[in-house]
Formats: sequence, structure tokens, C-alpha cells
Amino acid sequence: MNEDRRRILDLLAQGRVTADEAERLIAAIEKEPASASPNQGPEAPPKAKPKYLRVLVEQQDGAAADRPSLVNIRVPMQLLRAGVKLASFIPAQARAHVDGALRENGVPFDLSQIKPENLEEIVDQLDDLTVDVDQKNEKMKVKVFCE
Amino acid sequence: MIPFAAEVSFRNRHLWIPLAVLWIVLAALAVLALPLFLIGCLLLNVRPFHAIAVFWNILTSLNDTELSVDKPERSFSAHLY
Repeated sequence: MNEDRRRILDLLAQGRVTADEAERLIAAIEKEPASASPNQGPEAPPKAKPKYLRVLVEQQDGAAADRPSLVNIRVPMQLLRAGVKLASFIPAQARAHVDGALRENGVPFDLSQIKPENLEEIVDQLDDLTVDVDQKNEKMKVKVFCE
Repeated sequence: MIPFAAEVSFRNRHLWIPLAVLWIVLAALAVLALPLFLIGCLLLNVRPFHAIAVFWNILTSLNDTELSVDKPERSFSAHLY
């Protein structure tokens, strides 16, 4: 790893790469997964499997920051997985109707693609999602994350 | 494990609901509704055992579900154990 960094610094000293490019290259080296180079450093601890999906709705203004969340929902991940299986019971006709309605509203989505393995992919990406909502002079923050 | 109790709070009123009693009543009703359920499954072309397995899975996953809404005069919270 150090050798790679030295090589990049040499290239920078020789003027063959710009400072920005060198920075990007070093960042890319640092981001390399431990599995790609198992002998060059300690392996990152495995990510714990999340047990719950938490949805928080909070007010954004500073005065309300110390207040508890307006909405606080904790749903076990197991319930989401079981719920996804329910999608297989939606009759084909109803599924087509829902898909059509979603497409009309600009959401090209196929309900038949909802599968438990797809949920796992979403959960993997859902580290911390924050959505700002403006509603009638009230600024809300919706936070969705797994824990 | 299915939830055996629920704690519900609404406008400063706390309610502890023994769900175990509810499950017993619902189990008796489920036995009575079984023929209708089987007919429904046949009509909708759904495998009945698969449907039962999914519903059981949902029931057992409900444990530790928590919901709270904090609005003036409309605060509500529920927790399944």
C-alpha cells in the first residue's frame, strides 16, 4: 500500500499527474476492499445484520431539536421480509393495475420484481437515508435507517 | 414467537393488552373459517399451506414492533412484546 502511495507521489513530483489526480488515486487505493489485498492490512470487521428498520420524523428548526421525534417507528426486518412474501399473493390482474397506475405517475415499477433477495439489496444500501419535507411552513426531516 | 402482549398509550392513557387471549379467540375463529379459507384459496389459485406459512411468518415477526406518534392532543404509542 505504501509503495503504491510513494509511486503516486513520485508521479506528482515528476509532474506527470496533477495534485487532484494524485489525491483521487490515493483515495482509490485507500478505498480498496480488504478482500482484494488480504495480506496488506487488517480485515474490516463484518457488518452486523440489521435487526430493525427505524423511521423517524423530526422537526428541522433548532427550537424543536431537543424535542422527541414526532413519529418513531421501529419495524423488525423479519416483518419486512415476511411482508415482501405477501406480494406473491397479489392476483396478476391487480398487479397489472397497480403497475399501470405507478407507471402513469412516473414510477416504472414491476411489483413481480419484489423478492426477499431484492429487499436485502435495499437494506444493504440503506445506511442512513434522510428526506427533507416542506409542509405548510413546517420543515420536517424524515430519517430512514437500519439498526 | 408471536407477540403475547401489547402496550398502547393514547392521550396519557396506558393500556396493556394481553394478546394471548386474543390469539386463543382468533384460533377458534380460524378453525371455523378454515373451509371458507380453503375455498378462497382454490378460487384465487393460491397454495393454502404457503399462505398459512406466510401469515404465520408475519405473526411471529410482529414481536418488538414499536410505533409512536407525538403530536399535541394526538400522541399515540404502541409496542408489541
